[in-house]
Amino acid sequence: MVWEPRRPSKPGVPPEFEELFQRLRNLFGYRRSPIWVGIIVFAVIIVALNSYYIVNPQETAVVLRFGKFIRTADPGLHFKIPFGIEQVQKVVTGRVLQREYGYRTVEAGVRSRFTEKGYEEEARMLSGDLNVVDVQWTVQYKIADPVKYLFRVRDVEGTLDDISESVMRRMVGNRYADEVLTIGRAGIAENARKEIQAIMDHYETGIHIVSVKLQNVNPPEPVRAAFNEVNEARQEKERMINEAQKLYNENIPKARGEARQIITEAEGYATERVNRARGEADRFSEIFTAYQKAPDITRKRMYLESFEHLMNSAKSVFILDETQKNILPFLDLSRGTFIETPSKEPTEQHKTTAKP
Amino acid sequence: MNGVRWIVPVSLIMLLIVGDVFFVVNETQQVVITQFGRPVRSPITTAGLYFKIPFIQKVNVFEKRVLKWDGNPTQIPTRDKKYIWVDTTARWKIGDPLLFLMRVGSIQTAHSRLDGIIDSVVRDHVANNLLVELVRSEGWEEAGKSLLESGEMTDYAVATKAGESDEPLKLEKGREKITREMIATASPLLKELGIELLDILVKRINYIDTVQQKVFDRMISERKRIAAQYRSEGEGEKAIILGQMEKELAKIRSEAFMTAQKIRGQADAEATRIYAEAYGKDPDFFDFLRSLEVYKNFSNPQGSVVFSTKIEALKYLKGAKKAGE
Repeated sequence: MVWEPRRPSKPGVPPEFEELFQRLRNLFGYRRSPIWVGIIVFAVIIVALNSYYIVNPQETAVVLRFGKFIRTADPGLHFKIPFGIEQVQKVVTGRVLQREYGYRTVEAGVRSRFTEKGYEEEARMLSGDLNVVDVQWTVQYKIADPVKYLFRVRDVEGTLDDISESVMRRMVGNRYADEVLTIGRAGIAENARKEIQAIMDHYETGIHIVSVKLQNVNPPEPVRAAFNEVNEARQEKERMINEAQKLYNENIPKARGEARQIITEAEGYATERVNRARGEADRFSEIFTAYQKAPDITRKRMYLESFEHLMNSAKSVFILDETQKNILPFLDLSRGTFIETPSKEPTEQHKTTAKP
Repeated sequence: MNGVRWIVPVSLIMLLIVGDVFFVVNETQQVVITQFGRPVRSPITTAGLYFKIPFIQKVNVFEKRVLKWDGNPTQIPTRDKKYIWVDTTARWKIGDPLLFLMRVGSIQTAHSRLDGIIDSVVRDHVANNLLVELVRSEGWEEAGKSLLESGEMTDYAVATKAGESDEPLKLEKGREKITREMIATASPLLKELGIELLDILVKRINYIDTVQQKVFDRMISERKRIAAQYRSEGEGEKAIILGQMEKELAKIRSEAFMTAQKIRGQADAEATRIYAEAYGKDPDFFDFLRSLEVYKNFSNPQGSVVFSTKIEALKYLKGAKKAGE
């Protein structure tokens, strides 16, 4: 007895355990066969190892007893009946999973790399107006019901692929290529999500579609240049309109200003013209009033004053007899010559006015 | 100690028997029990632990889940003689395991039967329908409207004119109806095999390569036409704006001229009136005064003045006597 001498040193051991110890001692001590001990210990270890399982945070465990679904287990440490009576299947329920169509992510990262090569067939589809469009999209999903996921449909991912492709093609096939390429994106994605979800629910795949997102939606490679040309032409159109608008904006306000200028100048002219007229008229009236008081003498004075002024402002004065005409060629007319040859009318007028 | 010698073989045999008595049906399985090849009892479709007579009864396990069938893409001409690749897929399950056991036996065989039946059904239906019917589906009529209502597709009108000149506008069946018809045709045939057909989906429809090239060419020419339209629209808009500009310029300038002339004219008239009013008091005096102005305004220190002897000033110079004569 290895532990017998220690008995007194364990006063706190309850009597029930002592009894148990005694029995064990009897059982093993009786035969004293180490093989049995070994076998039993080994069996205990095997049972222990088969009796628990650990469920990771992102997983849900499905427990089957004799192949029949019994329960699910959330993350943590759990126990089960060993020896294959209860089996555990773990399903990744916590993660959002993703399927890609028309392309594949080669290397995920901050700047992920993608490849389209080899997936053209997946991306290529017919639109309702029988044009061809390349559509790349992703479906993100979660396993919402692990039991259904495991037991209702075989190859759920493969089924999702089929449904997703079929639904997306139906969506694109029911729209004009132009809509698919431009404004239809959001609508297509949302409708596709609903429809894929409905079909997946119908088959009880246990999958919840988180989102359907369109990635690149392009016209096929050979046609792309022509599509770009349309965009360019659209830009060109805008450019031309802008250019014309620019010219318009350059010229019209300027012309308006110039018009204002012309009118203002005319107004200036008008003011000046009228003022001058008034001034001259007033002046005339003043002179005339004064003149009326002594017409003859004023007339003479004025005439002589003017004549005097004329004499003073010229270099030389010639007086010619009207009968002599030959002298004229000697005059240098280029120096600015004032020739006063009283015509008949004014002279007569003068005479009439000069003669009271 | 005779008994001890038998313990090992007897327990081994017992184990074998016990092992063959129990069997487990998984959640994903359904089972048919046969006794010497003859089915006994009704098929087991619920999971759990079951018993049978050892050695005599045999457990035939079948899949209970929905299975997927994937057809080979085939080239089929449609009713409007357009050659297309059609890739179909279907979902099915073993609806009647007993019948399935008798007629088919295994999933592999089932696939080859499905190939035969579904392929021919798809072929028939594709060949009997127009391509647009296969591509479009319910709600197609709305597609054009929604595009128009969005208001962003100015080239939509052009696109529809080009795309639909030889296409029917109204949808007769559409993809859903055609696939429903396919299912309706194939289902009874497969039911005979214990197979329940859940759906047939047209996964992909695409032009064959040679046709595709032609379609690309058409798309390119269509785009070019739209591009040309945009360009010419641009030119047109530009011309409209420039024309408008010229018009406005002419209007602005001529109106300015008109107004200016009117103002000037009014001023001239006013001036004339003022002059006339003033000078009219004594036209003779005005005449005289104005003539003197000419003398006064002459200012040319380098110039010469030539007078005739008859001018009035000389009268004064000659003396008053002459004037007085």
